[in-house]
Amino acid sequence: MANITLQATSPLNKYHQQFGDTTLSEMVDLSIYSIGLAIQPDAALRSINDVLGIAWPETGRYTVNESAKVQLLGLQADQAFLLVGADLSKDARPNLGASAYITDQSDSWAALRLSGSMSRRALERICPVDLHPSVFKQDCVTRTSMEHLAVIILCEADDQYLLLSPTSSAESFLHAVETSIKNIY
Amino acid sequence: MIIHHPLLGPRDAAEFVYLGDASLINRPDASADDAAEQFYEYQYLRDNVAGEMRELWYHEQGDRSWLVVTRNTLTHEISKVELARDVARANGRDR
Amino acid sequence: MSQTYRIGRGLVDTNSTIKFAFNDQQYTGHPGDTLSSALLANGIRLVGRSFKYHRPRGIFSAGSEEPNALVELRRGAYQEPNTRATVAELFDGLQARSQNHRGPLGFDFMGVNDLLSPFLSAGFYYKTFMWPKAFWEKLYEPVIRASAGLGSLSGKPDPDSYDKGFLHADVLIVGAGPSGLAAALVAGESGARVILADEDFRPGGRLHAETMLVDDISGEQWVANTLSRLRKMDNVRLMIRTTVYGAFDHGIYGALEKKTDHLASSDGMPRQVLWRIYAKRCIVCAGATERSIAFGNNDRPGIMLAGAVRAYVNRWGVTPGKRVAVFTNNDDGWRTASDLVNQGVEVSAVIDSRDIDAPLSISGASVVMGASVVDTMGRAGIHTIKLSNRQTIKADCLAVSGGWNPNVHLTCHQRGRPEWNESQACFVPGGVLPDGMSVAGAANGALSLSAALSSGIDSASLTLQSLSIKPASVDTPRADDESTRVSAFWHVKESTKRCWIDLQNDVTTKDIVVSHQDGFRAVEHLKRYTTLGMATDQGKTSNVLGLAIMAEHAGKSIQETGTTIFRPPYTPVPMGAFAGRSRGKDFRPTRKTPSHAWAEARGAVFVETGNWLRAQWFPIDGETHWRESVDREVTQTRNSVGICDVSTLGKIDVQGKDAGEFLNRVYANTFATLAVGKVRYGIMLREDGILMDDGTTARLGENHFVMTTTTANAVGVFRHMEFCRQCLWPNLDVQLISATEQWAQFAVAGPNARKLLQKVVDADTPIDNESFPFMACGEISICGGTPGRLFRISFSGELAYEIAVPTRYGNSMMDALIKAGEEFQAVPYGTEALGVMRIEKGHAAGNELNGQTTAANIGLGRMVSKKKDSIGNTLSEREGMNTENDLALVGFMPTNKSVSLSAGAHFVSKGNEANTENDEGWMTSVAYSPSLECSIGLGFIQRGQDRMGDIVIAADPLRGGTTEVEIVSPHFIDPEGERLRG
Repeated sequence: MANITLQATSPLNKYHQQFGDTTLSEMVDLSIYSIGLAIQPDAALRSINDVLGIAWPETGRYTVNESAKVQLLGLQADQAFLLVGADLSKDARPNLGASAYITDQSDSWAALRLSGSMSRRALERICPVDLHPSVFKQDCVTRTSMEHLAVIILCEADDQYLLLSPTSSAESFLHAVETSIKNIY
Repeated sequence: MIIHHPLLGPRDAAEFVYLGDASLINRPDASADDAAEQFYEYQYLRDNVAGEMRELWYHEQGDRSWLVVTRNTLTHEISKVELARDVARANGRDR
Repeated sequence: MSQTYRIGRGLVDTNSTIKFAFNDQQYTGHPGDTLSSALLANGIRLVGRSFKYHRPRGIFSAGSEEPNALVELRRGAYQEPNTRATVAELFDGLQARSQNHRGPLGFDFMGVNDLLSPFLSAGFYYKTFMWPKAFWEKLYEPVIRASAGLGSLSGKPDPDSYDKGFLHADVLIVGAGPSGLAAALVAGESGARVILADEDFRPGGRLHAETMLVDDISGEQWVANTLSRLRKMDNVRLMIRTTVYGAFDHGIYGALEKKTDHLASSDGMPRQVLWRIYAKRCIVCAGATERSIAFGNNDRPGIMLAGAVRAYVNRWGVTPGKRVAVFTNNDDGWRTASDLVNQGVEVSAVIDSRDIDAPLSISGASVVMGASVVDTMGRAGIHTIKLSNRQTIKADCLAVSGGWNPNVHLTCHQRGRPEWNESQACFVPGGVLPDGMSVAGAANGALSLSAALSSGIDSASLTLQSLSIKPASVDTPRADDESTRVSAFWHVKESTKRCWIDLQNDVTTKDIVVSHQDGFRAVEHLKRYTTLGMATDQGKTSNVLGLAIMAEHAGKSIQETGTTIFRPPYTPVPMGAFAGRSRGKDFRPTRKTPSHAWAEARGAVFVETGNWLRAQWFPIDGETHWRESVDREVTQTRNSVGICDVSTLGKIDVQGKDAGEFLNRVYANTFATLAVGKVRYGIMLREDGILMDDGTTARLGENHFVMTTTTANAVGVFRHMEFCRQCLWPNLDVQLISATEQWAQFAVAGPNARKLLQKVVDADTPIDNESFPFMACGEISICGGTPGRLFRISFSGELAYEIAVPTRYGNSMMDALIKAGEEFQAVPYGTEALGVMRIEKGHAAGNELNGQTTAANIGLGRMVSKKKDSIGNTLSEREGMNTENDLALVGFMPTNKSVSLSAGAHFVSKGNEANTENDEGWMTSVAYSPSLECSIGLGFIQRGQDRMGDIVIAADPLRGGTTEVEIVSPHFIDPEGERLRG
């Protein structure tokens, strides 16, 4: 029907808030794809290298192609998440042939970036994973749970974290992170 | 408790879900003549171990891997953690 | 009266004065005071009444071990009972009240219990309230309940907030006394990640209570210097007001940090934070606690631990009495006397149970060696003591030292047992310590200052070496090795008066004797029979005394007698801290459906299903009862078209060359043969043959399936499938990922469903009945190019589809569907109408798939394939699950159409009594059917499929009433399925 077009909404209405030098903001328009390896992964690993210019990450690490603005998050031994930055063309789904199984996850996750000097102390209140820079380095990513919610946490830089949590409970997750900042701020 | 995940290092047991005896990997062959008897044993008969036990844990809030954790049921000491998939393959499980 | 017992400055800030109230009387104190030190400074000795006998009680200690001085702090909703005055920091405007008395503190009506004490000894309750049986509920229990407990709760919700957190460290050091500070210096200088936690607001431990020098400077100056060194280290986290209350498995420690307890108001910040500390190593430097001696009337206000008296004098500049007597069995007690004299306080006598030469000379005091105190006088406050040599001595404070007990608690939290050290007359950590734990300082029996300092240095070095961290070289701080000679002495046997052991639970030596006589001789029995050590202080000052006296009676050694098990928490932890943020609406996360905002704007009533908040129905103007809304939604859907957000169903993306084979094995029916572009209903069994879940699975490509699960089982089914994939068939080529959150999915149901959808589905996908028949599926584009999916499936029994769009478009999609449906008067419907329609259609749901039922029970036995192996198929064939008398899912209608049915009612044949022997099944789901205009139900009944038309009784004795019902087909609507294929 020509006269109806669908409007997209982001899970957290483009939330952005400053707490002193610490910032919490929603990252919108990230494209996220899960890439599952076939049981014989060689062909898939080759095409990931060719198509994305990126190596398959160890579980718990992520690899980056700076120029293409893509990151590959090693969440499971045989499954990774591909993150594609917002400024790329709309359809970012890579063509990796028949040996990798891709599922669009772009709408499944709300993304929050937490940066600034209070980041780690705020996350201390909800995150069971050790985020000390000597342990959770700049190439680290992991899935864990915070306040009963599944969360993928990625260390982007010193005092800067990307947090992905399921869309349906995004408001509860935002509330949890916000409360953690307010409780020390 | 802390489980030393073979890929991810030490993780709080709260991230895991417990299933039970690792013998659940050894699912019987349904085409065997005595399949009913074998399945009955597989499903219901377990050792009640006081000491070292191999058990299945699932890293639900993590990498979604099933692990075989060797744990002393008297002291909670964990002496070994393996990927269940590796254990299953080593046990001869295939497709 | 203004602080007439303040004799010096100690470590309080006397330049600043703060006001507080005790029992509505105004007093003053200074920053740095605790409530106890301020009360003592003001000459307040009587602060509470004892638990059982309502005896007048005063302050007994100067720390967290306090058994007596429990008060209610703050007022109104902030009121907190049973707070130890000895650890409550004084702040301006603090309000405290004494507890456990009826009438004024000075004259307690319940004091009559003290006169009845001969009847109230150990085992009294067990022995007395046994009979007559009928008295228990009416008389005994209410009276006991009314007199039990100490402080009172406000009865209002706690207005404070609490938080939790996670910390990680190489080394956790528990206690910032001399050994803890020394250990922290070594670990900190070595670069290890260190957490140094101390329960006090002023780290330093006993150094502040003593006058000893370290490195030739005062103890408090050495503490200040050390703290300033530690504070400069990024790798050291100093946590004050933080009690490590428990040692758990694998190096996990629980700690409670008091954030705002010392402030007049929390000001919106969490009052306390409960930390979970993951520590590779832990050094327990928890110090030691002094114990008392059992003698006649040793519980009077003014009788205190000798070390506490010293602490009040040295740290707070307060003397607990103007004329003090000391009773000790060790050299350490003598230092109380000498410190008092040095501060100009009169010491009337030092009584030492040991028949040795006096270790010190105390000017002005009569020194009595080899003697003991047998009795004391002064009901509201001691004034005279009587000695074993019949001498009487005037004293308004009696400082008692029975020796020191190392604080071994944390070393025992994993069932470790301490060992008795005969020469030091105390238990020291022994046996197997929790993994990664070591102990230093007084907690390890290093009771002198120099020994404590060097053991802190040494154990830190060893700990670091075990972590492969090179220990920094730190000089051991110098201190004198003061004398700690002690000779065990527990009980003054010459006393004819009651001798208290556990002050908080009012346990006396007589109770120990009774316990022994009655046969409760093992320490664990002794504890429970007498309640020794079972109060909120967990017997910190009394346990060792109690079991030593038991050992004497039993003629056993103390090591043989042993200790009871120490359990967390070391000191009380408020329930609010354990709850943390999980209160009210934050108790658990809320999941919202993609069209939540639309439904909210439309005035929907929501229902919680698990974490989901789902629209239950959508009332319109004029509707006053939920049934009106639901009936309208059902009727309009069946007559025209209705739309429901069904995004909560679990969706699992299954891909791989073996995806079909994998599904064949996890579903009881066949899936490998499903054609691309088709959907099939599947049932999943547990390995024991019981139904686990059901749902539809669509084949979008040769190697690509999308499975749906029920909302409630989404997580469990995924877990099960990962188990199958990794553990059972590790070499199948199949990948799983949840796609529940990815898609907003809407059921569009009713005779006009297709017409409506044709307005939103782009024209390149024909969806007429021939191109897109029942059980078809496909990827489509919607509203001019938005990618989506369409499934022709029906839960309602109507011509129906489920249409899916990426979640970001979900809210807009709902709006678009309703707008496109305006010409058909399309209605949104909620979970209630969804439920009514599925009951009318006879679909099983959660009430029927309850973990006890089989495929055969719900009439789908033939779906369980016998041609292939799948989970549960073998055991589902067991004889016991396939008998003639098995339950079958059928429909029920009341014979009287105006009667409502109730779920949970049990079926009995007519003429049979409604009891368990005659039970033939139960009603699982009921609804009012607007289509049939009567109440209908689904339920399980034996041989149901062969009993169509029978009349049975639905008995509901719990809620009253029995109903005659007719057994009918479970498919109340369109049993041939013509509508959904139309």
